[in-house]
Amino acid sequence: MTVGANTAPASPASSAFVAFEEITKTFGATRALRGVSFEIRPGETVGLLGANGAGKSTLIKTLSGIHPPTSGRIIIEGEEKDFRFPVDARNAGIATVHQNIDDGVVFGMTVAENLLLDEIATSQSSFFIRNRTIVERAREVQEKLDLDLPLNSLIQDLPASGRQEVAIAREISKNPKLLILDEPTSTLSKREAEKLFLAVEEFQRRGITILFISHSMSEVERLCDRAVVLRDGMIVSEHEKPLDSTAIAGSILGELVLASKHEARPGKEVVIEAKGLRAFPESPPVSVEIRRGEILGLTGLIGAGKTELLEQICGHRPLLSGTLSIEGEEYNPKDVSDAMKKGVVMVPEQRALQSMFPNEPLWKHSTIGLAEDFSRSGFMLRRREIAFTEDVIRDFQVKAPGPLAEIEELSGGNQQKLLVGRWLSRGWKLLVLDEPFRGIDIGARGLISSALRQYSEKYPVIVCSSDPEEVIEVADRALIMVEADIVHEDNSANLTAETLAQIMGQGREAQTTRNVA
Amino acid sequence: MGTTALKAPKRSGIEATKQFVYRYGLLAVLGLMIVYFTVTQPFFGTFINAMFILQAASIVAVVGLGCTVSMTVGGFDLSVGAAMSLSIMAAAAAMVVGEFSGTVAILIGMCAGLAVGVLNSILIVYARIPDLVATLSSLFLINGLTLMGVGGQSVAKGMVINGERTQGEFTPLFKWIGSGDVFSVPASVVIAATVFILVTVLLNFTRWGRAFYAVGGNPVAAAAAGIRVARYRIAAYLISGGLASIAGMMLAARSNRGDVNVGDPFLLQAVSAALVGYAVLGANKPNAFGTLIGAVFVAALINGLTMFNFPYYAQSFVQGVLLVVALLMSYTLGPSRR
Repeated sequence: MTVGANTAPASPASSAFVAFEEITKTFGATRALRGVSFEIRPGETVGLLGANGAGKSTLIKTLSGIHPPTSGRIIIEGEEKDFRFPVDARNAGIATVHQNIDDGVVFGMTVAENLLLDEIATSQSSFFIRNRTIVERAREVQEKLDLDLPLNSLIQDLPASGRQEVAIAREISKNPKLLILDEPTSTLSKREAEKLFLAVEEFQRRGITILFISHSMSEVERLCDRAVVLRDGMIVSEHEKPLDSTAIAGSILGELVLASKHEARPGKEVVIEAKGLRAFPESPPVSVEIRRGEILGLTGLIGAGKTELLEQICGHRPLLSGTLSIEGEEYNPKDVSDAMKKGVVMVPEQRALQSMFPNEPLWKHSTIGLAEDFSRSGFMLRRREIAFTEDVIRDFQVKAPGPLAEIEELSGGNQQKLLVGRWLSRGWKLLVLDEPFRGIDIGARGLISSALRQYSEKYPVIVCSSDPEEVIEVADRALIMVEADIVHEDNSANLTAETLAQIMGQGREAQTTRNVA
Repeated sequence: MGTTALKAPKRSGIEATKQFVYRYGLLAVLGLMIVYFTVTQPFFGTFINAMFILQAASIVAVVGLGCTVSMTVGGFDLSVGAAMSLSIMAAAAAMVVGEFSGTVAILIGMCAGLAVGVLNSILIVYARIPDLVATLSSLFLINGLTLMGVGGQSVAKGMVINGERTQGEFTPLFKWIGSGDVFSVPASVVIAATVFILVTVLLNFTRWGRAFYAVGGNPVAAAAAGIRVARYRIAAYLISGGLASIAGMMLAARSNRGDVNVGDPFLLQAVSAALVGYAVLGANKPNAFGTLIGAVFVAALINGLTMFNFPYYAQSFVQGVLLVVALLMSYTLGPSRR
């Protein structure tokens, strides 16, 4: 799939509202954008899609003046613009609502104050600000936008969707020509998201041009006139209405080399049985059986509810609904400590935030969750800890000066080898790895994969990744999640790029087939 | 980054000196200072004077070790001085007014310190109030409560309550804490040494100590590794309050009376000792040995300077210089973070 029709340079006569021409952006040695060209026509809603790290955020930042592009031109209404600061973009009629809602509102201020934040912050306002004037002005804004917000409430008393509504209303009140919505539903519940869509549809009726960034196919399908897919810093496809979600999903995933490097093992007896679990309170119940002697892969786009489901199994968050059992015995972990005592352990998604202790040596990291194995009547057996760490370093080829080195001295891949390797020293009832291959090199990935294959001969393992290629590489059986539901189950060897794209492209109502060969 | 770590450490002379100063600088200064005072002031180096110094350091060391424990979990206990004052008053009143034995008085005093720890835990762990703010409010609460409890007056033998003279007095056991000795080592030094050993063992050699540091280093990762973060934070504040109460009784036994708010100045002294301790052996984190050195350093410095007729009113300044030097060592010479 290649770039669509819009490769011709935009002339002043072009009808485009925004035209990107050969935009590149480099951060040090990283090329985040590698020649992006596309147009947004006035009044249309364009969906911008792509996997994590595809360059979506970077592209938006060049348009909103946060990161000026390294090269290339941004043409707005036929005029070349050089955005150096966010205020430049704002003056050109571009308003951005960033992904994290709470970056867009100021806690401790009322809704009225948040609506008029720009006015309050700029020199337009007088030195003394009277509360009554603010509320009056806010009421004017509200009437103009036909909204009904609790102006005198504190912003933190509003639900997430309410705060988002305020953030969007503030941007709309500046009469933008283009509104950028960066993953606006990522922190909203389904019902809140529905309210947002109604608001967006209202903006569309008023003729506001919208650039809508999302991971969700169904959202894009519902709201967008056109979709543009970004991969590895380049536009890989453009899609016109009616949007073909299978083609879009395939384009996001890219040329998958879906060849499992191993025979899919059938799996032995069921060790863990999960019945009626829910990723989110209002999502459908799902059931999973986890067997000895296999690696179960879990994949799906970001936001599909994978982590939320796994964290409930591992005691990181309380069980929303349903039951869990280990070898037939009821299992309901109170917390992580309880889950680990019962033999369930997780390698969390965010390595630096959830697994690493700053300035602490490798040997302390390798035994942190295994204090019982490395202590006698409460006293840590330091020599045994260091010997164990040396074993992990050797067995998993961790490139490190030694067990006394601090963890920050290692590269991401080597950190991960240690953090995964330490758990494989003993058999768990269940080992869960959430995005174990994120940000690590191919060598480390291959090594961890083969170590997991070997370990899983005896013990059950779940590997979760939003990159299906990673799942197919390591797993025997794959589950695919769409909108918090497990919609497909198959031997990973049977999965092809086409089926994956089709499954992820369609909503969850479209199919619920769990074909296990 | 990973590959640079593998290269043989080929450091320049300046880098090596920096490393040496970072690790041993403070101990070297302490050693030189002791040598200098010993040579110039014959009395400084005597056993008796050494005991004076250690006795002066003992109370600060005990409170400081409590602060150290609360700092390992990433907390900060501003209420240690108030906890000291409360347990002094509780123990003194138990003996003077209640005419209890010394053992009971000590137990009552310790319970008072632990109660402060419980209050802090409730505010911090359950009510989720930030450590500094929570312990600041308990500082005022406890100090106020102590004053109201004794009607604003000192508790001493023969004090008058409601027109009646009290009959109780400080018992011999209690007095021993302040003036007794073991093989001519003052009892307070023995107590401080015992506390030091216990805290060192707890923090450095047990799984619980490992958990304390893990909670302080990264509470999210600690929880993900199966550590019950809330329990360790509660334990840390209980230890902090408990050690403050022990220090309080050491102080009360020395003066044989319970004066109002005598614990207050020990808060800043103890915190400063714990912070100076960051620079000892390049630890760059709260540690028991460092805190002990921090307490002894100040005591030795002031003891020596007094022999040179250094004015007492300049002591704060000297302590400030020491703290700044120690902090400069940990923050400017420490390994640079990426």
